[in-house]
Amino acid sequence: MTTGVKAVGTWVLLAPRNALLGVLWAYRKVISPLYGQVCRYHPSCSLYAFRAIQYHGALRGTGLAAWRVLRCNPFSRGGIDDPPESHHTYFDITEHGFVRPRKED
Amino acid sequence: MGAIDTILWPIRWVIEALLVGFHSLFESWGLEGASGISWVLAITALVLVVRAALIPVFVRQIKSQRRMMEIAPQLKKIQDKYKGKKDQFSREALSRETMALYSKAGTNPFSSCLPLLLQMPIFFGLFRVLSEAGLGNAGVSYMTQDLAVAFANAELFGLAPLSATMNAAISGEAVLAEGGTTAVVLIAAVMVVLMSGSQFITQLQIMAKNQSEEMMASPMYRQQRILLYVLPLVFLFSGVFFPLGVMFYWLVSNFWTMGQQFLVIRNMPTPGSQAAKARDERIAKKREKLGLPPLGEAEEEDAPEQTKPAQRQQPVGKSRAKKKGQKPPKKPDDDDGLAGQAAKPKG
Repeated sequence: MTTGVKAVGTWVLLAPRNALLGVLWAYRKVISPLYGQVCRYHPSCSLYAFRAIQYHGALRGTGLAAWRVLRCNPFSRGGIDDPPESHHTYFDITEHGFVRPRKED
Repeated sequence: MGAIDTILWPIRWVIEALLVGFHSLFESWGLEGASGISWVLAITALVLVVRAALIPVFVRQIKSQRRMMEIAPQLKKIQDKYKGKKDQFSREALSRETMALYSKAGTNPFSSCLPLLLQMPIFFGLFRVLSEAGLGNAGVSYMTQDLAVAFANAELFGLAPLSATMNAAISGEAVLAEGGTTAVVLIAAVMVVLMSGSQFITQLQIMAKNQSEEMMASPMYRQQRILLYVLPLVFLFSGVFFPLGVMFYWLVSNFWTMGQQFLVIRNMPTPGSQAAKARDERIAKKREKLGLPPLGEAEEEDAPEQTKPAQRQQPVGKSRAKKKGQKPPKKPDDDDGLAGQAAKPKG
């Protein structure tokens, strides 16, 4: 019972994250291919945003992603730039990149 | 809407200044100020100014492309290493190593999305300027009430107002002269065809000629191909709901992109692409004609012996090396790289 309640709570907690991930997923499927690779970094800004939001949540992830987009301009050096590592414990990442409460087994 | 208008305000200010400035310039050259053609030319001039302002970015790209030629052999090596490997990790590793190489060489062939992003507020700003003027409302700077009314009444071929949309013409919302509906629909239709055509050619040029073989084998390429056929539908939509003046801006801008793309693909193709091969052949032919030895022979000789077919272990950073050990096996067809690296629970 308590684990069920906890899982629901975690789902609610993860909902904004999944909503943003859905938007980014659609963007990467539909809009990104329009102009091919233009990003000066690896991972590209949208993949950076995706990972940042996966691991750091809607708020901090969006902040990180916004800062990255600002850094990515024709006069920046570019190169390899991964989002900061995080030590999450309470959620898993599905094969499509969404987050769900970690199964306790 | 308020917030968006606030952001667009400075852009509208500049667009109005440019548009009205060019309009009066053309008027001073003897064009009829109230005619559609003087406004169409003003819009064309506006496109040229906007695109010309982005030329420094373009030049920077050309310069970095020169250095790209120098690292082409190393780039080829990386591409060969991952040849035929389509799974997510190989493609991510390919992209990562390629980027590391650019970074080491102090070059980068990509111009970031800023030039693309910059054009969007300009486009929306122009949309606002032209739709307000089309209603005969004064703008935020040089577009006075009188000029706005003049613009609202300006017609192409004396029939089709620049502020009219195909939608308004057909529904009878726009008050048009005899034959005006047909004219608006025809002009909008022609522009849709030209716009779709130019976009299609631009896109096709990139896709068919300027991508490496690895890229062409990737799922991204399939998506691009689908979009190639979806885009004309988007233009069809815009052709129904956008005023003629805005569509004209878009059309001219598309033509500019097409020309620029042609130059880029011809003179600085992506290494490993079909266009790069074509360019190499052109250069080889030219050198033969001039009696020079073929390019690249000298370099080949003192190239270090790294071309072993076996996959060489790339040096990796501390944090990546750590991660590598934990990587869970992945389904090979999940090719987006979206599933995180530490996705599985550790326990």
